[in-house]
Amino acid sequence: MTLARRKLLQLVGLLGAPTVFLLFFFLCPLLIMLVYSFLTPGLYGGVEWQFSHLNYGRILGWANTRYEKFDPVFLSIFLRSLRLAALTVVTSLLVSYPAAFWISRMSPGRRDFAIFLVTLPFFVSLIVRLFAWVLILRPTGVLNQGLMGIGLTSEPIEFLYSDFAVILGMTYVFIPFMFLPLYASIEKLDVAQLEASSDLGATRFQTFRKVVLPATMPGIIGGGIITFIPALGNFIVPSVLGGAKVLMIGNLIEQQFLSARNWPFGSALAMLVMTAVLVLLVVQLRLARREEAS
Amino acid sequence: MPAPLEIINARKVFRTPEGGSLTALDGVSLKLATAEFVTLLGPSGCGKTTLLRTISGFETLDAGDILIDGTAVTQLPAHRRPVNTVFQRYALFNHMSVARNVGYALEIAGRDKREIRTRVGEMLELVGLTGLEKRTISQLSGGQQQRVALARALAGKPKLLLLDEPLSALDKNLRQKMQQELKALQRELGIGFVFVTHDQEEALTMSDRIAVLAHGQIQQIGAPSQLYQSPANLFTADFLGESNLLPVALDGQSARIGDGQGFAAARPAGAATLLLRPEALGLARPQGPALSFTGVIRETYYTGKDHQVALETPAFGTLHALLRSGSTPLDLGAELTLHAPADDLHLIDEVAP
Repeated sequence: MTLARRKLLQLVGLLGAPTVFLLFFFLCPLLIMLVYSFLTPGLYGGVEWQFSHLNYGRILGWANTRYEKFDPVFLSIFLRSLRLAALTVVTSLLVSYPAAFWISRMSPGRRDFAIFLVTLPFFVSLIVRLFAWVLILRPTGVLNQGLMGIGLTSEPIEFLYSDFAVILGMTYVFIPFMFLPLYASIEKLDVAQLEASSDLGATRFQTFRKVVLPATMPGIIGGGIITFIPALGNFIVPSVLGGAKVLMIGNLIEQQFLSARNWPFGSALAMLVMTAVLVLLVVQLRLARREEAS
Repeated sequence: MPAPLEIINARKVFRTPEGGSLTALDGVSLKLATAEFVTLLGPSGCGKTTLLRTISGFETLDAGDILIDGTAVTQLPAHRRPVNTVFQRYALFNHMSVARNVGYALEIAGRDKREIRTRVGEMLELVGLTGLEKRTISQLSGGQQQRVALARALAGKPKLLLLDEPLSALDKNLRQKMQQELKALQRELGIGFVFVTHDQEEALTMSDRIAVLAHGQIQQIGAPSQLYQSPANLFTADFLGESNLLPVALDGQSARIGDGQGFAAARPAGAATLLLRPEALGLARPQGPALSFTGVIRETYYTGKDHQVALETPAFGTLHALLRSGSTPLDLGAELTLHAPADDLHLIDEVAP
């Protein structure tokens, strides 16, 4: 057996199992969703094996039959989801960036402890943590009590069931996702480069703009993407903290599958989210390539 | 014309994590002549890097003053000081091209693009990297990165260039080549260089003057040959080159070493130390007064044109000698007598502990 053949066999042996696993458990369900999104909904759930493009028509505008009608509300919920997910990325970046800087400058022991604290919320059930936020934000909650106590407001403010509550909740949930990639790139930052920049005449702000920001950009983009994707499809946070007022695309999909029992329409909505994510990933890949080439 | 750099009585004390204090600079004063190449030489922890960092502005002094070109910069932040640094591990911006690295100071100063491009071209030509503008830092060898760091530090026309052990990461051949190039470059540019190193050979080769630092103080400052031939104290004698240090007793007119041999020395009576460089010892007995040492050869190393010999003597312990390779066999264990002319011996007014 030649060396090249042996290497190839080794590679197949190593990658075979994970490839089969990924194909079966990730790609197949996605393909099933894709096929379902072009079928007709069954009367009592499930699907009828008859081609239909009206699931997409209901979202995007051409459906105009007696039962299947275009409704702009779906697109506006989708756009709201994009907006809320983007805002979540921005707020968690604003929190994580200085935090990552601060932690990266700590002594090794305290640093490990601080990172442990950042990931600590992972160890408690998501639902429990979100209900804790309900207790904080509700009209009789800690926040309102405090604000009224110091006299900033006489009436309790409606924090709950608003965009604010959803963004707050999602930021809270996704901060570790943003923090860890950011921290990885900030920790690698060479302090000598910052000194070199100031030695060559740059103010702190110029150094930040020209050295720190570009050097940590991979972390910002990486963290942004792995925050944005689950935030876009999230339905737990908006259903606990957004209530009926702040519906996101994830809630809509969940309803189609579990309450409305319209699997094809739910699949079509899921494909919409999928497309948005893929577009984002392609754009990021392009940007990364261009950066490498330049 | 004001001195390119003047340091007056600089003091700096660091707090250690254990709560103690560490005096890094203990009253250091230094004045550079125009276009002078001064090396700060000393073992690690002697304060040389701290001194350099206070000049560039990364450390502030607890007391004392720093003047660059006659202007006090003691209170100025690093980015407003007219000095640039070549860093130990270069600290190049690896997300930028070679050209942007070199042009960084000008970009920050807001010069126009054409001017920057011209200057970058000049600088790369100066360091012999013409045509590599578009390369990224990771595509360069260690020696090339070194040159980019140099070009970057010089592009903004600093009044003074600081170099923090810039050659320590290079292999020996390249290091020697860079030493010569740096020296030539400094002459060509006509600006002051302050070079930090712990490598005494490097210091001797390149410098106009060397300042030997230890325990936060300048032990001695002077031309390389002066420091080598007439060190002012034991530290300098020991740190610069190999040395044999023999205790001597002085009686006013003459000096006497341990085994009773004497030589003329018009110095006040007391104790002192005699410095004998290895190359001062030879096989042939010189004409005129001489000191002779007989002992047993313990080690020899052949270095090409010389033999390094360790001679064990009854009165002085091991003496190190550098002998021209010749016909005399240098066998381990053999007895050998070495001579040193006694008319131009250097005495240090300090007694080894």
